[in-house]
Amino acid sequence: MADRETISLAQMPIAGFLSWLVPGLGHIYLGDRTRGLICLVVITVTFWTGVAVGSVQATVAPQARKLWFMAQLCSGGNTMAAVGLHHLVDPKSAWSPQQAVTPYWASADVGVHYTGVAGLLNLLVILDAIGRGEPRAFARREEQEPTKGRQ
Amino acid sequence: MTSTLAAIFTSAIPLAGPWRLVFMLPLCLSIAIVYKTTRCDDLRQVPMAALILWATIVIGMFAVGLGLWLLFSIAV
Repeated sequence: MADRETISLAQMPIAGFLSWLVPGLGHIYLGDRTRGLICLVVITVTFWTGVAVGSVQATVAPQARKLWFMAQLCSGGNTMAAVGLHHLVDPKSAWSPQQAVTPYWASADVGVHYTGVAGLLNLLVILDAIGRGEPRAFARREEQEPTKGRQ
Repeated sequence: MTSTLAAIFTSAIPLAGPWRLVFMLPLCLSIAIVYKTTRCDDLRQVPMAALILWATIVIGMFAVGLGLWLLFSIAV
């Protein structure tokens, strides 16, 4: 856990990177465990619900759905795991510009929206973690809650 | 065990018809929870704030949808 003495500018990118890797991990690193856990559970459940609804082949397709994949990529750890699973299941379609053949286009649509929104929500969490890691913000919070700040 | 887990994520759930719009509700809830988690300083405020935001999003989208549908019905 980072406190006021140890917090430095270097911790802002670390918090951001950790949040990108695992949603909420940046907050946990900064000592905001409950906030981090809420983000971790909600974003991870949203992402994998999307994959379960639409199937990994139709939802996480780096070449066939480039823009959506960019949104999904904001949730780095989840997306890398999903791309790995896609590559494992169907290596040909994983990097093909053709969309995976799916009998359920509505499911694929729902899945893509869930995973894309989960990625964009994680972008919000990354920016929030970077903002909370900023020394000025940390000092401001400590002024507001003087007893909680040094725990 | 591993193959069962993989099967969950490799086979799509068959969805058809307007019922797929119901999937919008939990997605909006996720958005509301994460947004309010980042905005509220006191985490005890999150459940109520998220619920209000969720209701606002759903009612707002329903109103916009209804408005567009009415506009389309009148115009065409």
